[in-house]
Amino acid sequence: MSKIGVFICHCGENIGAKVDCTRLASTLGDHPGVASSIEYKYFCSDPGQESVKKAIRDNNLTGVVVAACSPRMHEATFRKACAEAGLNPYMCEIANIREQCSWVHNDNDKATDKAIDIVRSMVEKVKRNNNLQPIEVPVTRRALVIGGGIAGIQAALDIANAGQEVVLVEREPSLGGHMAQLSETFPTLDCSQCIMTPRMVEAAQHPKIRLLTYAEIESVDGYIGNFQVKVRLKARYVNKSTCTGCGECITKCPSKKISSEFDCGIGKRTAIYTPFAQAVPNIPVIDKNSCTYFKNGKCKICVKTCPLDCIDFEMQDEFEDLEIGAIVVATGFQVQNNAMYGEYGFGKYQDVITGLQFERLASASGPTGGKVQRPSDGKEPETVVFIQCAGSRDPSKGVKYCSKICCMYTAKHAMLYAHKVHGGKSKIFYMDIRAAGKGYDEFTRRAIEEDEAGYLRGRVSKVWLENGKLMVRGVDTLLGKPVEIAADMVVLATAMVAQPDAKEFAKTIGIGYDEYGFFNEAHLKLRPVESSTAGIFLAGACQSPKDIPDSVAQASASASKVLALFSKEKLEREPVIAVNNESTCAGCWGCVLACPYGAIEKKDIMDRSGKLIKRVASVNPGLCQGCGTCVTFCRSNSIDLAGFTEKQIFAEVMGL
Amino acid sequence: MSIEQLYRTRAKELLSSGEVKMVIGYGAGSNKERRRPLFITSAEECDKLVLDSACISNLSGYLLTEGLLSDEKRVAVFLRPEGVRALNVLAAEAQLDTAQIVIIGFDSPKGELKALEGSSVEEFTALITALKEITPETAGEEQLAKIEKMSPEERFLFWQEEFSKCIKCYACRQACPMCYCRRCIVDSNQPQWVNTSSHTLGNFEWNIVRAFHLSGRCVECGNCDRACPVNIPLRLINRKMAEEVLNSFNHFAGTSKTQEPVLASFKKDDSETFIL
Repeated sequence: MSKIGVFICHCGENIGAKVDCTRLASTLGDHPGVASSIEYKYFCSDPGQESVKKAIRDNNLTGVVVAACSPRMHEATFRKACAEAGLNPYMCEIANIREQCSWVHNDNDKATDKAIDIVRSMVEKVKRNNNLQPIEVPVTRRALVIGGGIAGIQAALDIANAGQEVVLVEREPSLGGHMAQLSETFPTLDCSQCIMTPRMVEAAQHPKIRLLTYAEIESVDGYIGNFQVKVRLKARYVNKSTCTGCGECITKCPSKKISSEFDCGIGKRTAIYTPFAQAVPNIPVIDKNSCTYFKNGKCKICVKTCPLDCIDFEMQDEFEDLEIGAIVVATGFQVQNNAMYGEYGFGKYQDVITGLQFERLASASGPTGGKVQRPSDGKEPETVVFIQCAGSRDPSKGVKYCSKICCMYTAKHAMLYAHKVHGGKSKIFYMDIRAAGKGYDEFTRRAIEEDEAGYLRGRVSKVWLENGKLMVRGVDTLLGKPVEIAADMVVLATAMVAQPDAKEFAKTIGIGYDEYGFFNEAHLKLRPVESSTAGIFLAGACQSPKDIPDSVAQASASASKVLALFSKEKLEREPVIAVNNESTCAGCWGCVLACPYGAIEKKDIMDRSGKLIKRVASVNPGLCQGCGTCVTFCRSNSIDLAGFTEKQIFAEVMGL
Repeated sequence: MSIEQLYRTRAKELLSSGEVKMVIGYGAGSNKERRRPLFITSAEECDKLVLDSACISNLSGYLLTEGLLSDEKRVAVFLRPEGVRALNVLAAEAQLDTAQIVIIGFDSPKGELKALEGSSVEEFTALITALKEITPETAGEEQLAKIEKMSPEERFLFWQEEFSKCIKCYACRQACPMCYCRRCIVDSNQPQWVNTSSHTLGNFEWNIVRAFHLSGRCVECGNCDRACPVNIPLRLINRKMAEEVLNSFNHFAGTSKTQEPVLASFKKDDSETFIL
């Protein structure tokens, strides 16, 4: 016979003001199998928990239902209290009468009736609960960081500096990401590469970090503490172990007119190349699609030039399997293609460029050596128009969200322009100046007051070419007048968007993403660096548009999550796992295929003489995550989920 | 020689050479329109085999009879194209090994009997692939079109009416080659999810559960439809589900013995408009 204790929490006024807790307690007190039913103002408080423990001991309770807030809040609290009183913690369940009842109803009587239903349904479930024991799984103490931009490098360094192994995977030939492309950084105007490259070198030289550049993630299997990751090491066609990075091959390569990705198309590179001078590792790769030898079967000048015979045209992609305990995803962002804004003339006029292209123009390592020159004729522009929100905050053509960094970098661009081209005029069309952050508003004020950036509040409707000038027609809404500016160059503050393959990638590694392709965090406020998949963490702009300080902070935060995970030898897991009834299993293996964790194996059942009787599915408790996918798939209802058995769920439904 | 004669001889050869231990075919029924399954184990009995356009039931389900294939000996079976598809589905679901099955294939489009080449499932791949491209002819084509035109309320009433005839005899389940579970979900009473009494709720539950369990697996052989003693047009439900699965996932049941079950497998390009 069950002896269930029901504990009804007022949660101050949260529940007490809407639900008549006294009626609730007395109704449940009369329910068959309920031995004790009491109410209290705050059961989560120390005296509240004590009263639960006392009731368990006094009444020899076999199960506990706490009617309170969401189990996300205090399930752990009450299960622990039950365990301290000698009850198996899994005999305690939470009936949520706050989020699912008092908070969402106005009528007190009806809310109380509903609360009675909710609690009764949970009492019926607990009657059928079983004692469960937690499962222990080992943790592989090796982290995988995906993405070698500033966020990935920071996370890798933090984890490695704490003494744990890290594998850092970057798909481009060099570390660096977008930050390496920037000229100077707001709000301090320090040179991006000057602060970035030491980090890149540190990561490359760190004894605990294994660097895999020009590599991509093929597949991720397993679960928290025990991931199996397959990495594709793309063929560089250059032998990594012998190449010294002398650069002879790059100098001699005859294909010199390939648009440079690193310079956003305004600079050129060769077919065998390193993306930039400070590339880490400083080992070139051959771009198969542009290389004369790969296209025509003739050339091989690099082979003849290389003093160490490092070039190998026969090289193939290689695969490597890694055992990983935790993953940090730091795959970054892309800038939106502005070709869809026909009115701005991007793609039509050479001197209409994106903010990132301007960064390359202003960068000392860029194609112009840091001189601001028009891509069309190399002249120094006398007037530059900056258009903010070119894509951001535009639900009709662009993206709905604010890209967060554009107000700041546009102010920076205006300053850099003022410093590099004395007497140059800058005009900035903006919607709002969003400069929240340490030193940020001071920075934009400085652009306006000291560097004479001309801010015009309004949008641009059209850009066209007239007598060699880019005519920009917009509106100054503060004056209420249309304006026309003859400019030499137009810079679009393009939106930050997710990587084009972000959704595909999210599916490969098994994390969620939003409508834009940014990866979803487990909780926007309280778990911002965790993905919804245990053991996979997020850092940087792959989660949402971010500037450098935010990306670095989030990277360190994910590193601390990884280190917390690695601080224990074993991981204790909830025993909510699938169990198969072998006598009814038809052995169709649908569950084997459906299981996202590869936790179900085929098992032979033999008779005493070793003859095969039948084959059934068998769940590996170490691998099972208790997601229940197999349960829903099983046609004969042979698989059940401990803690959420069909019997329990059925009783719960029937209790309503 | 007629096809019937030809196949009798073939059955004799298979049995007398010891290549198969049993031939599952058709025998005479109570009248000219009805044929019974025949299980032959000796060459002498082969003359009892009947083959004509009345041989319509799908015999593949009999292969799963407990213990029949466990001695690893081979069995020959008379199958129409949909029967071969059923073999593929059963093999994909690890219920049998197609190497143990010798197919004696035939078809009777528009009532005209013809023999089909090949004795292993692989030899029928081209035929089955071709079937995927053409819309299969359904006896209830007109009725199907009529149901499609109905409003959801009218459709619900239509099926409520049809299901109200259901007496829960489970003949559909017994006749279906895909219903091989050792314990059917309706026979599980801890808890009793599907109500076994013949009222509206229980009738809907049973027939909808069966439709879902068959989607992506049903080869539309019509065994259930013919077995139903109260003439519920079960074939229409299965046709609709097959269409849905084909349109949503480009999946045609039984194209190969390694085909992954559509509702348990996942492809990156599956449409997932239903996931929030």
